[in-house]
Amino acid sequence: MTTTTVTPSFLALALGGLMALTPLSARASDLAQPTGEVLLSVTGDIANTNADGAAMFDRAMLEALPSVTIQTQTIWTEGLQTFTGVQLVDLAAFVGTDAESLRATAVNDYAVSIPSEDWVDGGPILAYLNNGAPMSLRDKGPLWVIYPYDSKPAYQSEVAYSRSIWQLDRIEME
Amino acid sequence: MSLPDDQSPAPRPLRLLRSRTAATVLALTFCVGLVGSMAFLVLREIDALSTSNSDNLQWSLAQADVEYMQFRLALELAEKDQVSLRDLRRRFDIFYSRLATLESGAVYRGMRDARDLVEPRQNIQDFMAFAVPLIDGPDADLQAALPELQTAADAIMVEVRNLTLAGLAAFADDSDQQRQQVMGTLIRLAAVLAIVLAGLMLLALALWRLNRLASLREAEVQRTAGRMRTIVETSLDAIILSDAEGRIREFNTAAQSIFGYSRAEARQRDMLELLIVPESHDQILSLARHRFDPDAVASILPTLDRTLDVKAMARGGRTFPAELSFDRAAGADGPVYVAFIRDISRRKAAEEGLTEARDRALASERVKAEFLAVMSHEMRTPLNGLLGTMQLLRDHKMTEAQSDLLDHMQSSGQLLLGLVNDVLDLAKFEAGKLSVEQKPMSVKRLLDGVVETISPLAAANGTALSWHWEGVEQDAIAGDARRLRQVLLNLLGNAVKFTRGGSVEIEVETLGFRDPKLEFRVIDTGIGIAEADLERIFLDFETLDSSYARQVGGTGLGLGIARRMTGLMGGTIGAESEVGEGSLFWVRIPMLPVADMPAYNGPDRRARTLQPRMARQAPMTILLVEDNEINRFVARQMLIAEGHEVIEAHDGMSGVEMASTRAFDLILMDISMPVLDGQAAARLIRAGKGPCARTPILAVTAHALPEEVARFREAGMEYCISKPLDRGELLATLAAARQGATEVARVPEMSPSTVDALLDTAHLERFWIDLPEAAREALLQRFTDETARDIAWFADKPTDDPALQAQAHRIAGSCAAFGLKALRKHLGQIETALKQSGTVDPALITALPNLWARSHTALDLWCDEARQTV
Repeated sequence: MTTTTVTPSFLALALGGLMALTPLSARASDLAQPTGEVLLSVTGDIANTNADGAAMFDRAMLEALPSVTIQTQTIWTEGLQTFTGVQLVDLAAFVGTDAESLRATAVNDYAVSIPSEDWVDGGPILAYLNNGAPMSLRDKGPLWVIYPYDSKPAYQSEVAYSRSIWQLDRIEME
Repeated sequence: MSLPDDQSPAPRPLRLLRSRTAATVLALTFCVGLVGSMAFLVLREIDALSTSNSDNLQWSLAQADVEYMQFRLALELAEKDQVSLRDLRRRFDIFYSRLATLESGAVYRGMRDARDLVEPRQNIQDFMAFAVPLIDGPDADLQAALPELQTAADAIMVEVRNLTLAGLAAFADDSDQQRQQVMGTLIRLAAVLAIVLAGLMLLALALWRLNRLASLREAEVQRTAGRMRTIVETSLDAIILSDAEGRIREFNTAAQSIFGYSRAEARQRDMLELLIVPESHDQILSLARHRFDPDAVASILPTLDRTLDVKAMARGGRTFPAELSFDRAAGADGPVYVAFIRDISRRKAAEEGLTEARDRALASERVKAEFLAVMSHEMRTPLNGLLGTMQLLRDHKMTEAQSDLLDHMQSSGQLLLGLVNDVLDLAKFEAGKLSVEQKPMSVKRLLDGVVETISPLAAANGTALSWHWEGVEQDAIAGDARRLRQVLLNLLGNAVKFTRGGSVEIEVETLGFRDPKLEFRVIDTGIGIAEADLERIFLDFETLDSSYARQVGGTGLGLGIARRMTGLMGGTIGAESEVGEGSLFWVRIPMLPVADMPAYNGPDRRARTLQPRMARQAPMTILLVEDNEINRFVARQMLIAEGHEVIEAHDGMSGVEMASTRAFDLILMDISMPVLDGQAAARLIRAGKGPCARTPILAVTAHALPEEVARFREAGMEYCISKPLDRGELLATLAAARQGATEVARVPEMSPSTVDALLDTAHLERFWIDLPEAAREALLQRFTDETARDIAWFADKPTDDPALQAQAHRIAGSCAAFGLKALRKHLGQIETALKQSGTVDPALITALPNLWARSHTALDLWCDEARQTV
């Protein structure tokens, strides 16, 4: 069972909408600078940056993006879990990319590509809360790509499992 | 034409095949269901396979090793200050995270429970419990504890390795199991699919056989159809097929030649209008309604004739008789009618010819029989004249030689008369004019008479003749005494003829209970009959080829007539014989016993005993009506010889005229006469008011059949006498008529008890003894004469006539004097009734003549006896 709660952020929506209106993203825009510890850096083919060709996110910036909360079981945990995070589709829209896939790399250098076909509404999220709490490195945090596994069998495949990268800290749009 | 194949249900093998096919289909359905459910299972398996319950397990497990090694490397490097403590902490956290995943992840649950992992897991957890406070502690403490931490980390290297390997083994087992499970399911599926395939092949086989049978039957149907076509085309009868509206569809070759229309011309025309004359339409339509109307009572149908005789109509309006039969059959589009029409004009013509020929033959046969009857009858008349004249001749004086000649003449004449009578009987029989009556009769009386008749002949041959009962006597029966007498006389005559110096015996016996028969057996000790001849002696004109048979003569008709008579009476006749030993002829007739004593039939001793006294009778004036001169002559001579006066009339009309002019004491009336026959003349006389309206009339006839006698009586002729006239019979009848008693033939037989009931014999005995013979006889004569007259006087008096009472009283008195107690009592009743009411029941009056006749007879009998005994 998967429950998805979308909490819209007007700013994000406005931004996203703006991005959508300018799909060619010929004009790069500057993002706000992260103030806290950088949890995620997005590089590659992106329109919006706040560093040299990269978009750096701290926890506050991520939390400012539109978030969803899903409830699902995972093969790595016991019992029903609640995850809250940014949908990949929203993140991609936010950074403004035409990329066909993203390359996600973890702290332990585990890396996996997630094609753009997966970035859909109701699809995988970049979770920053597990059961309402931030995740430490020991708990596969601070960022963990989570598919709503219970919502459809396709998300219960080894492909989906292998793309569910934890301890994520880098994304490259390619 | 019914072909068995068309009507019988599906042949056995086909039925069997069908049922087997049905079973196969059922089994297949079951198998398909099974396959479906198995497929569902397999799909679930596939589904289960498609959703992985693990990520890359091997990698994850191996990664635990890698991350452990990286952590250790980081430890070593940190000791040498080559990496920061932050990096060490990160490596620890990553390793920790990995172990935590192994510890808590759902996919590793099976692995965790493995027994040989309990200890390594415990050791690793111990290490973690030891390491976490140090890692989370301040940098200084961590720096200080690095060597210690390294030693501890080294200590669990084997454990981490074991954990990874055990995990791999567990997963290998797991996937093995899963593979086997899938394999098992697939094998089962394959097995079921094999069964389904086999079933489908069976089904295919069955369908193939069905198809083959169907094509065989189709070929058979085609052959049958071909045969049918041939039959229809070669039929001699017209076969016409029409649709429900009666329009012709098929018109076979015979139909074309019979009706003269070609097939094309006849097609689509209305069958009835084209081929049948309008008058026959109704006949056909009504039969069709009966046959095909579902409301018609089914049980009538089989009894209906299925063929009709109709008039058919060929081209050009020629009509001919035809026989038509038709039926209805189911066609592709509604019912069709099949009609068979046969031209029967030739048969009809032949039938008509046959009928005509038969009618002609029958007519000529009848004419022949009639001719024979008329001829015999006509021969009898002159013969009667001859015989009568010979009787008269005896009244004249003759020499002995003349008397002998007369004897010869008379016996030849009697023989001739017998032959003529035989032929007449036969002719009458053939013309269907003989009948039998069922009247009460006495067997004893019959046999007495027969024996008495034949006795002289038997005596002449020196043969003893007698009869007796075998077993229970049954005297009173209903039967035709005359025919029976004729048969017995014939048998007895034959027996006596062929027996010399022996005995002829008649046995009478009743046979059977349920359907009783009376059997007469005529047994002689004569010459006998050969076995081979027994068959044919009952045939007409059959005389046995023996000199002796020729010697005794005969037409050979006797036994043939006897056979016919017996048959007419519903009986049988037969014979058994031994040559030289004798013969036994038997007659068996149905016996109908009657309770009453039978009426007395035919001439008997009584008539003869009366005869002498008749001679003394007072002369009468007699009217003789007879057209035949010789007969007239004979009768007149006989009557004149008795002292009567005879007036003659030559035909019925002149007889009637004569009777109207003067009174006669008696009228002798011939029956067959020109101008006016006897019956009509008698009616006229009775109907008129002339002086002879009450005069007794005697019918004189050669053919006195029972129904004829009844007709004569109805015409007013109370008495009947047969030709040729026998003097004795004539005189007896005259006497009876004169006395006014009921006819002789009706005088009842008297039994002693009857006599006792009628007469006061004690009184009579005193009267008989007291008086001298002469006075006695004179008194008796006067009494009977007067009483007869007085009783006759009662006949037509009104029942309230005042003279009746005095008359009854007077007769009752004289009856008392002569002991006629029954009559006296009866008259007393009449007298009393008259005295009391002035009138009397007519039944009492009408009973008088009969009672008188019986009393008179009883008196005569008693007197006869008395004369002989005293």
